[in-house]
Order: sequence, then structure tokens, then C-alpha cells
Amino acid sequence: MSPRRGDGRLLLGFLLLFALHFYVRPRVFDGRAAPDFLLCALLLIAVRARPGLAAVAGFLVGLASDVLTPAAFGAGALAHTIVAYIAAWGREVFFPDNLVVIAGLFAGGVWLRNAIVLLASGTPSSQLASALLVWAPLQALTTAVAGLVLLYMFRDWFAIRIES
Amino acid sequence: MIRAPGRATSRSDSLLFVTCLVLSAGALALPDRYSLSLGTTLRRTALRPFIWTQERAEEGRTSRARFQAVQAERDSAALAAQSMAALIAENSRLRALLDLKARTVGSAVPAEVLHQISPTGGRTLLLSVGAGTGVRAGDPVVSPEGLLGVLLSVDTKSAVAMTWAHPDFRVSAVTEDGSVLGIAAPSLNTEASQSFLEFRGVAYRDTVATGTLVMTSGLGGVYPKGLPIGRVVGLGREELGWERVYRLAPLANPGHVAHVLVVRTPAGLEPVP
Repeated sequence: MSPRRGDGRLLLGFLLLFALHFYVRPRVFDGRAAPDFLLCALLLIAVRARPGLAAVAGFLVGLASDVLTPAAFGAGALAHTIVAYIAAWGREVFFPDNLVVIAGLFAGGVWLRNAIVLLASGTPSSQLASALLVWAPLQALTTAVAGLVLLYMFRDWFAIRIES
Repeated sequence: MIRAPGRATSRSDSLLFVTCLVLSAGALALPDRYSLSLGTTLRRTALRPFIWTQERAEEGRTSRARFQAVQAERDSAALAAQSMAALIAENSRLRALLDLKARTVGSAVPAEVLHQISPTGGRTLLLSVGAGTGVRAGDPVVSPEGLLGVLLSVDTKSAVAMTWAHPDFRVSAVTEDGSVLGIAAPSLNTEASQSFLEFRGVAYRDTVATGTLVMTSGLGGVYPKGLPIGRVVGLGREELGWERVYRLAPLANPGHVAHVLVVRTPAGLEPVP
């Protein structure tokens, strides 16, 4: 596959994730445990980019999240910056071309993002426990499953070499 | 293909990361009026295509799965409206007897809720209603079940509402029979999976029975009188023998509501943000 064709497919892949997040998710999923395709896209960018650029991408995605849900403006930017930077930096430790590793990346990313957002937005401790122990793991699970299905279906687009 | 590991994190990466962290911290410390203004600008420009896409998705969902629910609500409303003419006539006669002015009536604008994925998503809602429809910051937002919140900011095509789940939310409230006044506010002592409101400031001599409906009192000038807020589910606590705080189960659920009404402040009256 030529580099230009590969880049085109990758771009299509990210467009697909954006469409899933802003068009399909509101029609299909309802509630706090709905999968976060935007975070999937961010993590897929992060594992391809340098940590600094991943942090910038995280900041921009987080800022968009803050603008759409301005309960605590800046909390989303902070959380996505940290998650994207850790994901990019974590590539030094593991090579994310394995289904289980990618699932862990998606799930861990969602949980950590939610935890930072909740802490940064001053959530009361009584609500924090249920959000971190019930809703965040549920959303992490749905995001991991949805992300894996997509990566498996479009593995050529995202150029992920999945080990059997 | 993903690049191979082994590259050392450079100084420029760390610098970019720290810059983003500082900017995020700055955004967190930004006063509300600046952050809302910045959010309005971004929603109007860079994020407009995404919001437009989500609006189409919400419309699509409405036209299918929600159709029956909306139809049922419309039938209930039509049934309730049948007795309206007699009530309006009776009200007019009584007002004339008491020499009162005509009641100020606010109109409402329907809006779709564009739900976002965020752990704090229920505290604020993005609505598909803009300034062109006449809504303004400070206008109350209601669902068929009851009071949902108040508009925080409005731009040309969308608006942000603060719901009752937001820690800053307060509304002057009264029991259905008008005998007990208080303030409804979100409860900090929330059960594991359910959010409650608190009916605060109830005088120690007053008791409110479980199941009592609590509504907006109309005091303060933000919310019109008579919007249902929630039902009393029990005594929360007593403050040093001079105040009772009741737990209130809210009637409207910000997490699942699909359509809302924004009650426009009547002309000549300024909404209180």
C-alpha cells in the first residue's frame, strides 16, 4: 500500500470515527455508558504521534468537549491532554498492535479521562465513588468493545497490525 | 503503520505537554463569563459542523423511536387542555373581582437536547435553540415532567442550559398547597446511582409529608410560579433545631430527556442570569 493511499485511508478512518461520534452514537446509544468514539480517535492519533503533538491533539479534543459540556471549563482539556500524552509516551513501553493491548488502551484511557474530569470539576465524594466505580468502567468497557470491533473491521484503514 | 518504539521523549515534547497543562489550568481558572463567551464563539465557528451533524442525528432519532412517546405526551396535553378554557374564564372572573392585573404569560420555544459524552454531562445540556427564537440567558428550561434548569448562554444556533444537577443550581420552591417555602438545591449526599435535590430552609415548625409535590414559588424572578420540581421522599437532616432539610426526588431527568421547552421571559421583563 502506497504511503499516500495509506494516509487517505487513515483520514477516512478518523472521519468515520467522527461520524460515529456525532451522528450514529446519538441515534443508537443513550446514557452515560455510551462508547466514546472521539477518545478512540484521539488515542489512535496519540499512538502514532510524538508525545508533544499527542498532548496538543488531546488539548484540542478536550477543549471541544469542554465547549459542548461546559460544567467545568478546562477539565476536559486537562484530562485529554494527560491521557493523550500518556498514551503516546506509553508506546515506548508497549507496542500497541495487539487486540488486548488496544482494548486496554481504550478502556484505561476512558477511565483515566473520566477520573481526571470528575476530580478537576469538583465532584462531591459521594458522587465520585459511583462515577468512578460504576459509570466509568461501564463506559470504558463499551468504548473498548466498540473500538475493537471498528479496528477489526477497518484494520487496513487504521494500519493496525493485529496479532492473532 | 505504527512506528517502532525506542524513541526518546524530547524536550520539545515535554514543553508542549507542559504548555497544554498550563493552558488547561488557565481555562479551569477562567471566570464563567469568559469561559461561556469563549465556548459560544467556538460553538458558532469551529464546532458548528459537528453540532449540526448531531442535530440531524437527534432529529432522526426523534422521527423514529421517540415518535410514540411524543404522541402520547401530545394526547395527554390535549386532554388536559380541554379544561383550560373553563379555568381561564374562572381565573379572569376572580382577577376582575379582586381588581388584579392580567396574568403575565410567557411563551415557550421547543428545543432538542444534544447529549454529550462526559462524566459531567448531566450538569449542563447543549440545546438546539438559538437567539433567533427570542430566548435569552436566564430563561427557564422545562421538560414535560417538570423543571430542568436555566439557560446559561445563548448563541445564534445553540444554547447551554445549567440543569438542577449542577452544584450552583438553586430555585425558590414551595409545596403544592403553598404552605411551606424553601430553596431547592442539588444534594451533595447522593446515593450510589441516583441524584436527589434538597428542599432546604424549611422552618423547624413545618413538616412536609412524603410524596408532597414541590414547585417553583415564582420568587426571585427567574422561574415562573408553578413549575413542578420534585416530590419529597423523606427527611434528609435537621439543622440545629431551626431548619429541616428534605430529600426531593426530581421529576425531570437531564440524562434522558430528549426534548425541552425554553420558557421565554415576557417582553419588558429582563431574565435574571
